[in-house]
Amino acid sequence: MTDVALTLQSEADQKAIAALRRKNAVWRRILRDPPAAAAALFLLLVVMAAIFAPWVAPFDPYANNMRLRLCPPGGERCAAFLLGADNQGRDMLSRIVFGLRATLGMGVLAVVVGGGLGALIGLSAAYFKRLDTPLMRLVDVLLSFPSILFGLAIAAVMGTGLVSLVIALSVAAIPSIARIARGAAQSIMQQEYMEAGRAVGLGDGALLWRYLALNCWPTILIYMTLQLGQAILLGAALSFLGLGAQPPTAELGSMAADGRKFLQIAPWVSTLPCAAIFLVVLAFNVLGDALRDALDPKLRQ
Amino acid sequence: MARHIAHRLMISLPVLLGVLLIGFLLLQVVPTDPATVLAGPTATAAEVAAIRQQLGLDQPLWVQFANYLGRVLQLDLGRSMISNRPVSEEIALTFWPTVELMLACLVWAVPLGIALGTLAARRRGTLIDRAIMALSVMGVSVPVFWVGLLLIQHVGGAGLLPFQGRNGPIWTGAGLLSLILPAATLGAVFVGPVARMTRTSLLETLGADYVRTARAKGASDWRVTIHHALRNAMIPVVTLVGLQIGFLLGGSIVTETMFAWPGVGRMAVGAITSSDFPLAQGAILVLAVGFMMVNLIVDVLYAYLDPRIARS
Repeated sequence: MTDVALTLQSEADQKAIAALRRKNAVWRRILRDPPAAAAALFLLLVVMAAIFAPWVAPFDPYANNMRLRLCPPGGERCAAFLLGADNQGRDMLSRIVFGLRATLGMGVLAVVVGGGLGALIGLSAAYFKRLDTPLMRLVDVLLSFPSILFGLAIAAVMGTGLVSLVIALSVAAIPSIARIARGAAQSIMQQEYMEAGRAVGLGDGALLWRYLALNCWPTILIYMTLQLGQAILLGAALSFLGLGAQPPTAELGSMAADGRKFLQIAPWVSTLPCAAIFLVVLAFNVLGDALRDALDPKLRQ
Repeated sequence: MARHIAHRLMISLPVLLGVLLIGFLLLQVVPTDPATVLAGPTATAAEVAAIRQQLGLDQPLWVQFANYLGRVLQLDLGRSMISNRPVSEEIALTFWPTVELMLACLVWAVPLGIALGTLAARRRGTLIDRAIMALSVMGVSVPVFWVGLLLIQHVGGAGLLPFQGRNGPIWTGAGLLSLILPAATLGAVFVGPVARMTRTSLLETLGADYVRTARAKGASDWRVTIHHALRNAMIPVVTLVGLQIGFLLGGSIVTETMFAWPGVGRMAVGAITSSDFPLAQGAILVLAVGFMMVNLIVDVLYAYLDPRIARS
């Protein structure tokens, strides 16, 4: 509605408004916050490295060379290996790049699957009033349950491995996204265009998808991103426990667990994957906080 | 109040049934047929069938589930496939060490978190506030196993403190010493969230009318913070600490595994990786039920601290 009114104003007004909009765009506000901007840049690099891992990694992450066993970073034996070699003489840097790929990949997959289901639950709860109570009760139940127990239970029933891990992480991502989606959808349900859509005779499917989902998805997408840090941390912990990715798969959590045996003589084998997880999760959390501040006008100063 | 508790129990009931169902299913996926194992290698088909009938394995699944529920109620969780001891005995042995570890973590992490959060709120916007908040974000982001590995490498490896197992109950010197590193590891990831919650909650309370009144009557700054604001700010912190018990549980499973701490979490992971289904089922059941009980207690406590909750 405001948009219609604004177009009637003079060209100068329009220019000023456009400038103000650009200035206050979410991504600009984030770029003005140095830690958040650094986090965003870092994540961009990490995601690119993970996607293009086969081209970015200098060596084959699975090619072992026993002569380079436990060669420290900067060691003469393995000058080409920037971050040293692990217990099988594999290049740590390449393994970390591929490890990021596996760890981020499972996190993204879980958040997309779990978040998608969560969004569906949340939108349905907001749209079909009769479903609201039962669906949200279900979400409460899921939310009240520690996600690590999903991991244990699913690994116990289905066996350990990446599939069980992704399922557990997906289930863990459902409830919080469902809540966010429901909140976002409820405010849109009160918009006049929902009523207008119903008045012109649109069916539930069209209203739900074209009017509700398409208007909610930016919020949902942002919260899915926020969940990624947590999903990665949980996935890495389950892999560290031996319930997720199994060796020799280059996955950061299982690499950290694998290197434990050499902690006193070659700490970098487990420390570097841990540091990689930490930095990625930290970047997601810093960016997440900034996004939340940028989106929540109450906190904006 | 009674209605509030009843409502909470109503929510817990389906969760409990779900957990029990998972426990039951776990016993169904056991690859070996228990009747064949019990009958021994020389048994005839008729003998196996007789044992099947005796165990109730020929009944429909839902009857078997009902029987399973009955057995769980009598604390009969079956026998471990590896040690062949009753699962309930194994759990009784590991339960206290887990509780010990969690309490030891809370005892230092919660007060420290509250102190840091209060300091950050009081010095809002200053370098101290920023430093504490940066530390808290780092605490939320660090994998708990990295903290453990660093402590093992630098403190345990240097021979300063034991890091392999539990050397006795907490009231013995050796037991207490062996608890320090695991409790430090688990607590390290807990300080951050508590500090953050305290800061947010306190900032909200510091803006309240009664705080302004307290200031107006001339109470000192710290007195206002601690006496008037912090007490009220604690209510959400208490609940959030309760809700974080799930997070703590995850951390304790990793910590127990790393430090060979003989708790329920380590036992659960060991049972899963060695396909000891009855033990895994029992351990998961105990972790889930324990978690639900803590949640229930925290919830009731919350309603007691803040009667507005029960009324809404």
